[in-house]
This record gives sequence, C-alpha cells and structure tokens, in this order.
Amino acid sequence: MNHAIRADKFLLDADRTTWHDETLWFVREKRDRAVYAVPEFQELRELASGIKNHTLSRLDLYLREFEAAAQANGVHVHWAADAAEHNAIILDIIQKEGATRIVKSKSMLTEECHLNPYLIKHGIEVVDTDLGERIIQFRDEAPSHIVLPAIHLKKEDVGDTFHTHLGTNKGENDPQRLTEAARQHLRAKFLAGQVAISGVNFAIAETGAVVVCTNEGNADLGVNLARVHIAAMGIEKIIPRLSDLGVFTRLLARSATGQPVTTYTSHFTKPAAGKEMHIVIVDNGRTQQLGRPDFRASLKCIRCGACMNTCPVYRRSGGHSYDFTVPGPIGAILSPNIDMKKHSSLPFASTLCGSCTDVCPVKIDIHTQLYKWRQVLGEANEIPASKKWSMKFMGRVLASTRVYGLGGQFARKALRLLPHGLTHAPSMNAWAVARELPEAPKQSFREWYAKQPAPAAAQPAQPQIPA
Amino acid sequence: MSTTSRERILAAAKANKPEELPLPIVPDFGGEATIERFTTVLTGIGGTVVRMAGLDELEETLRQLFPEARNTTSPLFRGTVPVNAQTPTGILAEIDLAVLPGEIGVAENGCVWLPEANMLHRALPTITQHLALVLDHRRVVATMHQAYAQLPNTGGYGKFVAGPSKTADIEQSLVIGAHGARSLVVLVY
Amino acid sequence: MALTRRREVSRLYIVEEETAKMKVALFVPCYIDQFYPQVGIATLQLLEKLGVQAHFPAQQTCCGQPLANSGCERDALPIYKHFVETFSDYDYVVAPSGSCVYHVRKHFDKLDQTADVQHVRGAAYDLIDFISTVLNVTEIPGAFPHKVGLHLSCHGQRGLHQANESEMTPVRDGQLRRLMASLDGIELTQLNRNDECCGFGGTFCVSEAGISARMGQDRVADHVLNGTQVLTGSDMSCLMHLEGIVRRAKLPIKVMHAAEILNGVVNG
Repeated sequence: MNHAIRADKFLLDADRTTWHDETLWFVREKRDRAVYAVPEFQELRELASGIKNHTLSRLDLYLREFEAAAQANGVHVHWAADAAEHNAIILDIIQKEGATRIVKSKSMLTEECHLNPYLIKHGIEVVDTDLGERIIQFRDEAPSHIVLPAIHLKKEDVGDTFHTHLGTNKGENDPQRLTEAARQHLRAKFLAGQVAISGVNFAIAETGAVVVCTNEGNADLGVNLARVHIAAMGIEKIIPRLSDLGVFTRLLARSATGQPVTTYTSHFTKPAAGKEMHIVIVDNGRTQQLGRPDFRASLKCIRCGACMNTCPVYRRSGGHSYDFTVPGPIGAILSPNIDMKKHSSLPFASTLCGSCTDVCPVKIDIHTQLYKWRQVLGEANEIPASKKWSMKFMGRVLASTRVYGLGGQFARKALRLLPHGLTHAPSMNAWAVARELPEAPKQSFREWYAKQPAPAAAQPAQPQIPA
Repeated sequence: MSTTSRERILAAAKANKPEELPLPIVPDFGGEATIERFTTVLTGIGGTVVRMAGLDELEETLRQLFPEARNTTSPLFRGTVPVNAQTPTGILAEIDLAVLPGEIGVAENGCVWLPEANMLHRALPTITQHLALVLDHRRVVATMHQAYAQLPNTGGYGKFVAGPSKTADIEQSLVIGAHGARSLVVLVY
Repeated sequence: MALTRRREVSRLYIVEEETAKMKVALFVPCYIDQFYPQVGIATLQLLEKLGVQAHFPAQQTCCGQPLANSGCERDALPIYKHFVETFSDYDYVVAPSGSCVYHVRKHFDKLDQTADVQHVRGAAYDLIDFISTVLNVTEIPGAFPHKVGLHLSCHGQRGLHQANESEMTPVRDGQLRRLMASLDGIELTQLNRNDECCGFGGTFCVSEAGISARMGQDRVADHVLNGTQVLTGSDMSCLMHLEGIVRRAKLPIKVMHAAEILNGVVNG
C-alpha cells in the first residue's frame, strides 16, 4: 500500500476533502498574517537555522553540557538508543514509583516509540491530556497532524466519540460544550495522576532546562500535580543558550497556528521539593540521519507543522495517508531514514512545489531533500520496476535527437488516430481519469521550424543578426 | 540507565556531525515596548488588560472584576485560601481566582513572565479557574529577545503566560478554557 | 517576414546593439514541441519582435527533469550532457517553461562543473524572466481586454523567484503580473489563493493521479469563482494539466501561454 492508494481513499469523500483542505488553509492564512506582521521574520528564520546548524555541528558537546547541567539541577538523565529502550526506561521509572496511572501531554517522540500500547500492555493506565490526543486515543487512532492531532475529524465525529466515552448527550456537537466535557473528565485524571510524561520543545544546554509549549496548559497541570515528571526528548531538541529561545519562541507559534506565542511557554529546570524529574534523551535513528549530509538538516525541525498546513498534497490526502508518526513533507523526509522500504512512496507524494521550504521556520530545504530521497530510493531499487525501466528507456531516447524525433511523431499520430475511448481509458491512462489529453497537432514545433525560411532556421551555431 | 547507550549516542553524534559552524549573534531588533501594544495583542488572544493607578487599587479592582470569586489566593493580599508549595491538590482544585505578580510583559505577543517564586504553588497558575497577573507598566519590553535578556535565570520552574488556556482541537474552533485558567486578566499599574 | 517586423517594433523599443548581437537559443521542451507547437512559435516570434533573433538548435531534446524527479537522476545524466553540448555556444537559452529552466539551473550540479556546464546553467532563462531582466522590458504595447487569471508556476516563482511568494509577503508582484498588467484593457483576476500549486508535478500527475487531479480542479475552481476568462502562465507544463481539467469539465475558460497573449497583442 503506497501513499497514492491511501490518498485515493481519503479523496473518495470529496466534501470532507474540501473541508480538510480549507480548514488547514485557514491555518496557513493565519500563519501568513502573523508572519507579515513581524518585519524581521525572514531574518529570524535565518538565525534559527544558523543556531540549529551550529548546534548539530557540536551536538555531542552540547548533549554533554546539557546532561551535566540537568544533573546539577537534581534531574535524572537517561539515554535511550532506540524506541524499545525509551519505553523500557519509562516503564521502569513508573514501576519504581509504584504508579499505575499516568497523564501525558503531547509528545511526538512517545508516538514515534509507540509508548502508549507498551505501557498499557504492562498494566498502566495512560491518559493523553491534550484534547486532540484524547479524542484520537478514545478512537484508537493515530494523530493525523503533529500540532492538530484530530484535524481529520469533524465535530460530529467528536460528538459521537464523547457520547460513547464521556456520556455527553447524543448529537451534542458544540465544540465549546464538548471541550467543557473533556475539561471536567481530564481534571479528575490530572488530580489523580501519579506520573506525568511530557514532550520537550527545547532543551537548553546552558541551563539543563527543558521547555514545553502548549496552549491548553495540560503539560503544566499534569507535571505540577504528579510526583514524578518524565520528559522525553530527541537528541535534536538541544539549543545552546537560554537567549536562543528569543528566536525560537518568536517563530514557533506564528508558524504553527498564527498565534504570536503559545499560551504557556514553560521552563522546567529543577524538580519541586519532594518530587522527581527525569529526562530521557533518545536517538532512535537521529545520529544516523546526522551522518547523511543531504538529510541532516531535517534534524533542525521544531515540529511546528507549518509544512503540513501549506502542503497542497497533505491538505487533500490527510495525515493518515502518510502512515508515519510525522506526516506531511517533513515526515516524508524523516521516514525513509527509519524504514526506506516501508516509506518509499512518501518522497514521491509531492509536486516539489517548494511551499514547505518557504514556510519552514528553521529553513529546512524540505523539497530539495524530497528530490534527493527520490534519487536514493531510485539507486536502492525502491521505486516501482515499471517506472525504473521506462525512465531508463526515456533516458536513451532523450539523449538522442533522431530517436526522440521519431518517437514524438509516432505518439502524436497515435493520439490523433486512436479513438478517444482508448487514449483516455482510465485503466491505461492515469492522466485521463480527470483530464483531457492535449489535442495532438499535425506537426511538431521542430517540423514547423524546419520549414521556415532563413534566417530563422539557418546557421544555429553562429547566428548572423543583420545590423 | 544504560551507560553503553549514552556512550554510543555521544560517539555517533561526534562521528556523524558536520564540520563546526558558527553560532550566530542575535541582534536586538528593537520594537515597540508600549503598554498599548501589549494591550492590543493580549486582547487579540483572549486576555484582558485593566489599568490601575497604583497597587492600592488592586483589591477593589478585583472585587469589581470577579464579584463571584469565593476561593481566592494571592501573595499580594489576604485571600480566602492560603496556598504554599505543600498545599494539597484537593484544595488547589477549588481555587476560583489566583492573583500573582508577573515580572515582565512582552508587547509583541502579550505574554507575561511568571517565575516559580511568584506562584505560591507550581500548579496554581493552571489549576485556578481564573488567573490575574499584576504587572508594573515599566516592565513591558518589546520582544522575546528583550524578555530573555532581562531574565537572570529561569529558577526551578517558570513560564511565560499569554492569555487564558485555549484549544482549537475540535474543527479549529477556538474554545477558551481548555485545562488551565478560563480567563486571564493582566492588571497593569 | 521576420526582419521587417523587427524593424517596426524597433520603433517601440530601443533595441540596443548588445541585444541585437546576443546569441540566443530557443529551448522548446519536449512536451511543447510535440503538443503545443504554437507556444514555441509564439515564443520565437515574440522574441523577434523584441529585437532578439533566437535560434532553435535542432539537436535539442529535453532537460532530463522527468527522469530525475522520478528518482532516476543517473539515467538523466546523458540527457544533461546532450543539453549542455547543444547550448554551450549561446549567450542565452530561453524556454517557455520555468520548470525546465529551474531544473537546468539547480540540478545540473550533478555534472562535472566544466566551464560549459556552468555557462549553460547560468545562461538558461525562462522566457518571461528573460524579457523582464535581460531585455529589461516591463511594458508591452497592446490591448487584451479580457479577464485574465495568472497561474504562477511553483518552479518559476519559488524556484526562480520570478514573483513574490505568499509565504513571505502580502504584496502581489512579479514579472508576469507586471507584463500582463501593462496591457490595455486587461483585468487581472484576484484569486483566493494567489500561488497554490496546480498539482501537475511532472510524473506526480500520473503516480499520484487522484491528488494531482483534485489539486488541478481546485485551482481551476478558484479561477472560475473569481471570473477568469483566460488562464495564463509562463510554464506550459502546469497549463497543460490545467487545460486538461478545463476541457474535461467543459468550462468557459481559455488556457493560453503568456507568450501567445503577448505575441498576439504586439503588432508585428
């Protein structure tokens, strides 16, 4: 199953596709307005990119600095090479605490590591507390967007889900009342939470602090009521200095949702008296990506989701069509590093329009990396054989003027002479499912040109322009 | 903790990192450090700004703004519920209104820096139903760069708060009052 | 005859001596050669009217983009070399397709960077870019009293920076917009989405046919909604896709390359 097939499923519901596209475009437009209002926005992108590039170029040193600072703050620091180790470390902390109930705020890393099913299997009650994440947790679905996890759902879907799980009235679809129901439900969970797990937006090497940005306040509420806080971060979340946050906090929310800043920008540096704080630093393929010069810039990502909101493909295929924790353009350049075979169609799920690159607040060359992944996949024979052989054939034809001219004549003639039903049969011609083929002209440009009188066609190598 | 994973990750990061690149210098972009700008932006994201002539107007202003608040707490005046770092969760959960001193206001985005020392309890600013932050008008800066430049450190815990808790996770419909405070008022003196 | 026409137009434009001496090659991408010869003809004639005698080296084939975008860059290398050999003797290589030009400029980095390769990469120009920045022509004398919708091709706009990008600025400006706006009687459509991709994307249009078509339909719908009568752009590949959608849906929109409009309005 490739992206195109999953996208076609999403497209079957044309009205929902329209709604999904327009809803995300609305977020893109909010982003635009926020960006236009900051005169130095492009300079901030350049600075953010520079800070991240610098950090990656000293990553081992900054990780050591961060670890030492965090430990000096009384924080327990753990290292996980992969998802399995990440999950095992977290379960161990929970079990040592004797806890059975945990509350979680948003963390794409724990999604990537499939932490929830692992903990549930070990008898732990896991409650996602971000509203969107709670909705999809009830529905046993994966997030379809990294900032707006339930953006594939309409309020009627949420109403049905809450009716089933929270006992709201059947047919209650009002977002205000549904959110209030979730607030009451989750308050009880927060108050009872023994261990809180959060993600990390930024980890500051200088101070050993982790910074978490939310709008709902769920990270703050969960962490500050539980006895134990576990923050899970990829190694790429490091930034050198506290002052660098001046740059990143100006970019993150504007790029993500068009807000000037997230409601809460919370700096967790030391555990409160009598409490524990753990940080789990995870690799899970990131050092490998760091070693790929063409693709290491993907590690600059601050998970704002702007590339999804702007991507004309993502908006019409939905996040689940990517079948990867991080969907959209950024997911399409991260996923082949994890499993090239499984995700081989994702770098092709793009027109290479470049809008993702232009909105990226840390200037990741996303569309160029998509192009480069295509080459890696082509070399590794991870593209369909029919495509590969037809491209090899085309390569030979197009490197030769004579063969090319003959082929073109034949194709045009065929197009003119064959019946429309044959040339436009959907089973043979994917183009013609929704589009007419161009009307085939009698003569090509080169045939016309050859018939023109001099000087138009004469002496191409040394054109003589009359004075 | 796995020492081997730590060593493996650090070794791989060292081996695979690119040649060292410079750390850019972040300029001070200037900007408008006014209470008017702060007010416009905060209002735009669902917060409220109320001007006071001085701190002595605080309690009267609060009575007018929150006539129905029963359980109130603050380090600035004697509220109905005393709160400290040891206050049990059950009591915190009943707080209607917390009134806390903010340190720095940021005009470009309407946020206010709230350090742990001003919170009474770390959970209080989010668990309270309504939050009021008191801010000296001279402590408004233009941008986040300037705000961070004024922070000596971030203490054990601290946060920038920009407006009330909110979500748009259902169909991108903005709902104020997700998990944290349902309203935020900044009382500027 | 071409020469006479050029002299007449010379009354409208100061054809500088350097312009007349330029060695300009016309690159007519494969799909234009085969399916849209009139666009190649309009490009040639328009350049001629602007004082440039462009030549069409007959040995040209393709820029290799379809292969490279499919992950077969290695198989495209002989095409790249053929392209460089074909065009290295010219000062400029002009094509009515920004996408091909972008490919030459950006992705011919895979070749050994000989003097010829570097020259051809720098010499490749989209037609509208060439008119605007090399010939410094910003106004075209002529009338086109229709409601015209611009399709900004992504490679021309975001790749070659021929127009402002909505990701960066609310100001809508660009080479094509300026040239078109200079025509008498023209009205330019205000689209809801100024510069969204049309969904052509080369082989994407068949490998992701469903999404590609939907994107094209949405793009066309924006033009229909806002009253476009003539849909134009400087990249024929996007226009081929959009025209296919327009004709399938039998919409009252005419799709024309910008070269056809501009060539048509200038009296030769």
